[in-house]
Formats: sequence, structure tokens, C-alpha cells
Amino acid sequence: MKEALSPGKSPVANHFTNRILQSGQGYIDAALRNRGQRVAFIVAALICFFLSVAFNVVEWVSGAPWHAAVNFAYQLVAITGFVLVWFLLSYFLKQRPASPLKTFWTTLLVALLSAGVIGLMIGITTAENVEGDAAVLGFEYDTGVPLTFATVVKMHVVSSLRVLLAFYLLLRFQDLVLFKRTKQSQRNWYLMLISMGVFSLLFILKDPAEDPGIVQYIGLTLVVILMILNAFRVSWIVFLSFRAKAAGVGFSILLILLLLASLSPDGILPAHFMYIRHASYPLEQFTLAALTFGLLYCVTSFLFLIFHLPTTGDFRRKTGEITAMYSLTNLVNQAFDPDKLHLTITKTPVDTGTAQMAWLAIADERSGSLRPQVVAAWKTPTEDIETMVDVAALYEELAARREPVVLDEAPADRRIRKKPGDPIGTILMTPLITRDRLLGGLFVAKDVVQGFEEDDVESISVYAAQAAIALDNARLFEEQLERERLSRELDIAREVQQRLLPHDLPKMEGLAVAASSIPAHEVGGDYYDFLELDEERLAFIVADVSGKGTSAAFYMAELQGIFRSTTRMAPSPTDFLEQANLALSSTLERHVFVSVIYGVIDVRKGELTLARAGHCPAILISREGAGRLIRPQGLGLGLDRGGRFRDVLEEEHIPLQPGDTVTVYTDGVVESRNSEGTEYGYERLLEALKALRKKEASALHEALLADLHDYLGRTEYDDDMTLVVLKWDGTKNHTKRSAT
Amino acid sequence: MGRHEKPHETIGNMSNFSVGFRAEAHIRILDLKGELDAHTVSELEAALQKCREDKNHHIIVNGEHLQYISSAGLGVFMAYIEEMREAGGDIKIAGLQANVFNIFDLLGFPLLFDIVEAEEEAIRKFDADRNEKNDS
Repeated sequence: MKEALSPGKSPVANHFTNRILQSGQGYIDAALRNRGQRVAFIVAALICFFLSVAFNVVEWVSGAPWHAAVNFAYQLVAITGFVLVWFLLSYFLKQRPASPLKTFWTTLLVALLSAGVIGLMIGITTAENVEGDAAVLGFEYDTGVPLTFATVVKMHVVSSLRVLLAFYLLLRFQDLVLFKRTKQSQRNWYLMLISMGVFSLLFILKDPAEDPGIVQYIGLTLVVILMILNAFRVSWIVFLSFRAKAAGVGFSILLILLLLASLSPDGILPAHFMYIRHASYPLEQFTLAALTFGLLYCVTSFLFLIFHLPTTGDFRRKTGEITAMYSLTNLVNQAFDPDKLHLTITKTPVDTGTAQMAWLAIADERSGSLRPQVVAAWKTPTEDIETMVDVAALYEELAARREPVVLDEAPADRRIRKKPGDPIGTILMTPLITRDRLLGGLFVAKDVVQGFEEDDVESISVYAAQAAIALDNARLFEEQLERERLSRELDIAREVQQRLLPHDLPKMEGLAVAASSIPAHEVGGDYYDFLELDEERLAFIVADVSGKGTSAAFYMAELQGIFRSTTRMAPSPTDFLEQANLALSSTLERHVFVSVIYGVIDVRKGELTLARAGHCPAILISREGAGRLIRPQGLGLGLDRGGRFRDVLEEEHIPLQPGDTVTVYTDGVVESRNSEGTEYGYERLLEALKALRKKEASALHEALLADLHDYLGRTEYDDDMTLVVLKWDGTKNHTKRSAT
Repeated sequence: MGRHEKPHETIGNMSNFSVGFRAEAHIRILDLKGELDAHTVSELEAALQKCREDKNHHIIVNGEHLQYISSAGLGVFMAYIEEMREAGGDIKIAGLQANVFNIFDLLGFPLLFDIVEAEEEAIRKFDADRNEKNDS
């Protein structure tokens, strides 16, 4: 960069000029982001400044003007210095962007200050050792050589102040002119700046005493045309609130008066242009042009402000509606992506100029929490919101009032944890309500206190109503997707479940077995299985995993693995259940548990050993019709992962009589409800079993299901229904034994 | 508590299940109403979550008007009990109807939870727990 600035290397300089024209100040700004480069710029500008002062001091001491070539070099140095200042100032101002109003009053302030200082400078030493009108400023009439040291100082201070004002004005107004920039407006603006620069440079070799030539006039015409073009770029005005517009009118009047006074030769700063002209003729032309543009721009702004003042309210309402319409059409596509939708909802109020910062909080009871979550923020990182404000407390007020709430003095509110630098002065919170449900809250903020007016609130409310509908639609859509996903998941789970159930029933001497499991629409986690431990003993299991869908199917599969692998090694039902609890506890989620009933039938001895882990009791019916529930104590698997499970677990040994029926089932059987909402229940089950006790196992099983079906009156079940019937026929067994 | 201390705010209006909040000194009482199953369980979860966020670890679940509970509903209690106890609190269950109690009982919940007949009893137990803790 530094080499690029040295005038000696023309290819580099060419490249440099090109870059300025191409990307404007972006290139230099990039360089200035480096602190070292900035310091280099400042030092270079200072060197230029002192070189030009020295030039004039030497002139004063020698009393004779410099040679024309030296004079030319002096002009170049002085101008280079100010070009550097331009970029520096541009960089610093870009770091501190200002609102239109701030632009006006700071410019006013800078203009006042510079006028004051210049007035003071000129006033202090008006007629110093000089006589006659011509030399009243302290320059020799013919040669323009400064007559006193004070003149030299005045020359440079006055011109520096004037140029600084011109720069400040141009750089600040640049943001206004380029508000809602288009390629064309940007081009016009930079063309104006360049033409102003070129126009001024046309005066570099010009003697101020002569009239400007035709070239200068052509340049001037071009500058004026571009100034007029740019002066009408005042679209920022319509986005101001009524109060801001009124203030804008005042500021622009003051600025017009001040600029007029300081531009006119007979105004408050008589003849100060002479000092700048003696310091540098091109700079004088440049400041003249810049301040004239400032004046022009203030006049157009003033007129437009006056013109738009009465329509402010309408405009704001209209903006709200247009914004809402725009986003509505836009939001249709975004229903697929909630994050994007949230961001669009949040962004729009800022993009339309109503607010400077916005965030969206949503309290979704489906997500299991009533605490509002900030789901999107604009102009600040989402995670910073919680540190800046107490979202939950604000949301609570919003939920209670269900209407827009304005916090005019946000920094004084205890729910705002403002740190210096947080841009929160006023907060406007608007509930998002559809179908009488509060979905969330849209929070918008401005950095000034009392920043929102009636019409802002109105436009945001209109917008919020639309946003709520979009949000609601997105939710419905999401729910639909979720339903479809779930139904696919359930298909898989159903398939897994069916594969895990045994395909063949055990065939043991003296024991008839019938079993079935009917999956519900939303697959539960029912499981049953058998394993022949040896020729005499059959182990059976019926289990129900809490929860539904794929996760239930997954645990079922795990249980099957445990049953198939552990059963042979476990000497008794309690041992098996302990093992199963240990094995499952490490994988079960905290809210999932498994109820199991596990038993072993010894067909030779005619004995049933049974243990129960939180499962529905087994039912034993004798041939004579006596029925009882077998319900040894035991916790469901996964409920207790320590010693408690083992401590409370009991086992029952029941001698069987020939013709005894043992029925095991899951809660889907007893808890199934008919259309009136009455459960099938234990009593009914017991009665049905008693009535059917004489039937063969499979016939009994079938008849029981038919009875259940009749009772329910439909084929869709709420829960899986598993039913296993074991019938021990001692006589057969006996016959067999006697035959051997 | 402060702002939360509204006499009766209710969540859940789309199904036949609802959770009502009440406060009794330092104890939060949740009134369950209707049928608690896989579809409505998120509401109870949200309520317990809120208790947790509000640092309310002494909870009584009043089941006087609870008509049914499925295994998914029971799972919620399992999911929270450990944490509440670790934080020095408890979930006590009161006033269950016979059929609902039976479901709790089958799984062995009475062995793990304080299940009492009346809400007042649960409150007394909480007070007793506290005194015991203060004494020790």
C-alpha cells in the first residue's frame, strides 16, 4: 500500500487509481483496518501538512514567491495530505455509522465549530502592520506572498478546518444519498466525488487573479449536474418517524442558514476563502463545491421532510402491511425450514427500518419446556440475547397481557441487563397469536429511549399477526411431516416385532400351548417367547416394554437376546429376572421400563415356578373352575437399578393339577376399553376363562380373543394385546410315564 | 416463586388431559386430570420441567381426577424422581383412584414412591422430612 501511494511508480499508481475507481474506498478501507497502516497514513498526512506550512514560512521569510515548479510540487503535497485525511476520516466515520438525524446535527455542530474557530482566527489579527484594502488579509498584493507568520498560520488552520468540514459533510451525507443504494445511485455519487476532485485539480496551475477558462466552466457544469442528481436521493426520509421528521426539518433549516452564511462572501466569515485560496486554489474550489452540495442537499431534504411530514402515519401502516404481505408470500416457501422462517420473521422489522434489532422467542410446550427459547435474532447473535435481557420475565408479561407492550425506558427496566454498548434503548414486544393460542413473542429494539411511536406499534402489530399465521402453518406442516415419519417408523417397528416373536410353538408332552400377539395401530413393545430348557421343563416369558415405536422394538430385541442367552444358565425365575434387570438397566433410557412375567413349567412334576417383574398377574384356572391371580411381588425391569430390585423380588411355586390352565397376557388385554370407555378388566377375564376352561388350549385361546373382540366392538386396538395360554394335562403325561 | 404464584394456571387444552399448578408453601402441587398416555404425556413432562427450571423440587402429584395412566405416563415419574431426590426434594403421589393405583401397584411403584391417599398426608410427610433434615 505504501509503495502504491508513492507517485514515482506509475504502473502501481495506475493500478491504484483503477482500484479506486473500481471498488471505491473498499480497497483503502481494507488497508486501513490494519492499525500500522492507519498510523502510516496519519504520519504521511502530518508530513504533508508540515511541508506545506514550511513552504509558506520560507516564502514569508524570503519575501519572494517560489518558482512555479516548486509551487506545483507544493500544491501536490498539500492535496496529497488532504486525500490521505479523506480516507482516514472515511474509515473512522464508517466505524461509527449515524442515523439521518445524527448526521444532520453532527454536521451542524462541526460547521458551527469550524465557523467559530475560523471567525476567531480571522478576527484576532485583522490588520497587522499592513495598509490598504488589498493587503488587509496579510498577503502582498502582486505576488500573494504572506506578509506575516500569523498569515501563514491562518492560511493553514482556516483551510484545514474548511476542508475537514467539507469532508465530514460529504462522508456523512454519503450514507444518506446511498440509503437503499442501487448500482446507479452509487455510480452517480462516486462520479460526483470524482468530478469534484477533477474540477478542483483544474485550478492547480491557475492564477487566482485570472478568470477561470472554458475548461473550468465545463467542469463546473458537470459537477453541478451531478450535484443536482445526487441531491434528490432523499429516500431515507420516508422511513423516519413523525418526531424524527420534525427534528429533521429544524436541523436542516439551521444547517441551510449556517452554510449560506459561511458560503456568502459577505456572511459571517468575510474573506476566509482568500486564505484557503492562497493556501491552495484547488482546495478552495473543492470546499466550495462540497459545501454548495451540502447546502443543496439540505434544501431538498428540508422540502421533502416538509412534504412527507403529514403522511408519516399512513406510510408506516402501509409499510407494515406491505412487509407482512411480502413476508407472507415469501414465507410459504420457508415453511419447510423453521429456522429460516424464524429468521425471516425476525429480520423483516429491521430490514424495513422500523427497528434496529429484533429477536423471536417461542415457548413450545411440545418441546417439553414452557420456558421461552430465543430461536432467532437479527443484528445481534442469538446467544447474546439471554445475556442482555431476561427473556423469560419479558415473555411472561407478554403472555399475561397478550397485546403489544412498549418498554420506553428499557435501560431502567430491571429485566434488561444492559451493559454499556448494548444497543437497547426501547423494546417493543408483540405477542404472536393465532387461533387464540400464544405461539411466541416478537421483540424489536431501538438504541434510543422512547424510540417507538404509535404508528410503529401499529405496523408491527399488523406484521405480527401475519407472522403468527405463518408460524402456525409451519407448525401444522411440521406436525404432518412428523406424523408421516412416525407412521413409517411404526411400520418398521411392527415388522421387527413380528420377526422377534416365535414362529413355532413348543411341543411338549402333556402341555398344550397357544399364543398370539396382536399389534396395535401404534406398535407397543409386547413380547412373548418360549424355550425348552430340557425335555421336562419349558420356560416362557411375556413382556411389555413401555413406550412405542422403534425404541420399544429395539428394547424388545434386546430382551429377546437376554431371554435366549440367559435362560438356560439361570437356575430359577428370580435369577433370570435379576440378570435381565442388570443387563437392561445399562441400556434402558431413564423413563423406559419393562414389565415381565417369567415362568418355568415342569411337565413331569407338574409344577409351575413363577416370578413377576411389574407385570400383570398370571391366572390359574383349575378344571373344576377355581380361579386365582398369581401375583408374586416384583418391580418392573429398569425401575430400580440397584439392590432394591433383588430384595423385593419373590418367586412362587405352584403345584399343578391335571387340566389346569395358566394364562399370561399383557395389559393390552385387561385395559382395552369398549366404546363406552369401560375396561375389559380382570373380573371379566377371570369369568371368561372359567367359562372356557374345558376347551383345548388353542380353542380356549381363540374363544377368549373372540370374547374380547365382541366386547370391544372393533378391530383397532390402543395397545398391543398378547395372550398366552398353557394347559397342563397330567393324565396324558401320566399315561406316557406308565407306558415307559 | 414470586410472579409464578398465580392460583391456577393450566396447560394443555387440546386433549382430555390437563395439569394444574398450585403452590402450598414450598411445595408445588400438580393436579392431574383426565387420561395420561403417550399422547398427553408431554404436558406432564412440561410441567415437571417447569418445576425443575423454577428449582421446585418438592412436588405432590394429585391424582384425584386422573382416570387412566399408561406406561408412558409412568415413565415420566421415573425420569424425574432421581433428580428431584438428588436435589433434596421428592415426588409424592396422592389421591389415586383404585384402578389407577392398581396400575402403579402392578409395576411396584409403591416400593419406590411415596404414594399416599390424601394430599394433606403428602404435605405432612414433606414437613416431616424437612424437620428430620433440620434435626440431623
